[in-house]
Amino acid sequence: MRSLFDKIWDAHVVEELPGGNALVFMDRVVAHEITTPQGAIAIEKEYGDCLYDRDRIVAVNDHVSPAKDTATAIQAQVLRTWAKRQGIRLYDIGEGGICHVIVPERGYVTPGSTVCCGDSHTCTLGAFGAFALGIGTTAQAGAMLAGCLILQRPKVMRVEVKGELHPSASAKDLALAVIAEIGFRGGTGYVLEYTGSAIDSLDMEQRMTLCNMAIEAGATTGIIAADGVTAAYLEKTQEAPSDWLFLRADRDARYAASVTIDGNAVRPLVTWGTNPGENAPIDGVVPVGAAAASLDYMDLRVGDKMSEIVLDQAFIGSCTNSRIGDLREAARVLRGKNVVIPTIITPGSQAVKRAAEREGLHEIFQDAGALWTHSSCGPCLGMSMGVLAPGMRCISSSNRNFQGRMGDGGRVHLASPAIVAASALLGRIASPADIGAPIREEALV
Amino acid sequence: MIVTGKPLPLRRANVDTDQIIPARYLTGIDTEGLGEHLFTGMAGGAELLAESPGANIVVAGENFGCGSSREHAAWALTARGFRAVIASSFARIFLENAYTNAIVPVVVPDAMIEGFARARSITIDVAKQTVQADDEAPVAFELDELRKQFILGGGFLPYLASKIDTVRAWQHAR
Ligand code: SF4
Repeated sequence: MRSLFDKIWDAHVVEELPGGNALVFMDRVVAHEITTPQGAIAIEKEYGDCLYDRDRIVAVNDHVSPAKDTATAIQAQVLRTWAKRQGIRLYDIGEGGICHVIVPERGYVTPGSTVCCGDSHTCTLGAFGAFALGIGTTAQAGAMLAGCLILQRPKVMRVEVKGELHPSASAKDLALAVIAEIGFRGGTGYVLEYTGSAIDSLDMEQRMTLCNMAIEAGATTGIIAADGVTAAYLEKTQEAPSDWLFLRADRDARYAASVTIDGNAVRPLVTWGTNPGENAPIDGVVPVGAAAASLDYMDLRVGDKMSEIVLDQAFIGSCTNSRIGDLREAARVLRGKNVVIPTIITPGSQAVKRAAEREGLHEIFQDAGALWTHSSCGPCLGMSMGVLAPGMRCISSSNRNFQGRMGDGGRVHLASPAIVAASALLGRIASPADIGAPIREEALV
Repeated sequence: MIVTGKPLPLRRANVDTDQIIPARYLTGIDTEGLGEHLFTGMAGGAELLAESPGANIVVAGENFGCGSSREHAAWALTARGFRAVIASSFARIFLENAYTNAIVPVVVPDAMIEGFARARSITIDVAKQTVQADDEAPVAFELDELRKQFILGGGFLPYLASKIDTVRAWQHAR
């Protein structure tokens, strides 16, 4: 009768609280430099050295890394010194990367566990069959102090993706398709439990890309049951504990809502508006009924062809699409060609960077004229490493196209790494097919 | 607890936290100075604030506070004296952050938003859970029974701290 999410929830409820709330145990707390200092300092001041369990906490300097100015240097230094004082493992520049990329890479998330972080894209980790969610600074401090969050039990929506993902589509396109289907706020109050044959055939990186964008539909998180694919990934992760369980939804599990998507019908999508649900097929147009405020901000009109939108910058990176598979996709498109607009490629972690360089991907990128950087959140949040000027238009493999997200007045179009790469070559929104690139890796061999 | 004041009539839906406070201002280790940047990420936001002197209650549409988890959004609101947000729905993380920062999250049907946006004065009775525009009849709204106590003065972290022994006992028996 129970969904996968129900099983994890039930196994972590310490106590039912008034008003339909529950005290929910957190197996892991992830802390980064932007949202941690205020809370960490507050509990240290008020309660002294009394973290619930320092071994459950992992700290990461990732958002503006290395620091760009005095203020961000202080943030990183506060996280560093706090972690040292409290005996918390810190991933700093040089060995770190984006928290949602390194947490799975280092084995800090296992199926059936709970993870929280003061960051909305913590839902990425639901790909491992874990309950992983973003929270505010004070709630994160509470989880470090008492090992728990106070949560309203979310409802569960089954998102079944049938068939197989169409060869031209990526996990990013599926993520955008899900948001378009249920709506930008359609997931509010729900956990999205992804099932179906098209989900089963995704690799772990693709599952992370999909779960990463659950928050963009307003959902508490996304989750995918662990299977052989998950086990194979975890086995390669030295630090990951092996004592986890294969939890699955019961056959007769009840869901508060269900949607079905035909994987074969998913096509490459690009956003035209100012939230991720405002997207259209790459060979389509800005649709009738598009919100006027979004069009105004993006300087577009109904009926504009997506493939005629001219760009000023391209970015491949972020916790959505910065893993090795994403970089291979980009390299496949960029190989032997030249970008015509400023293009920034930022690996999700230093481990990803090194893996890419072992394969020679950095040569392909740099030969193409792209900037190959160290790992960081970078341009994704408009704080450093490629901030947009007002009116600049950027195609990005990240997850948010909000007004001003990548810089005051900057305009963002979200798409898959392959589309971003093709667009960088043509200076307009373009598909890999437009530059004669094969649509899938297999087609190369 | 009674919150009275003037509306900031945002009216619009999907006010995300990048609009409330853009990431580029999240460079502090405390909550100082955030108020200055409130709504600077929203087209016309700063102008609207300037045109509404003394406003202390935000009035918006659906899905207020969506996007990033940044509690800075709540801190920036409190720094500018905002004590409540009236909206037709809230995003989860902002809602949690509102309660922990004693910002009253008032949910009313979409059709009522315009009335509050135009009000000269709004009165919110937190204990009784009613909200009133000018001399109109008070409208009832829902609050989370537990988190309401955090607004009324209980405090979120002290409450969690009081649970530590329970959590340890639970974990021991796990
Ligand atoms: S890459 Fe972007 S979305 Fe992901 S954690 Fe960093 S800032 Fe947030």
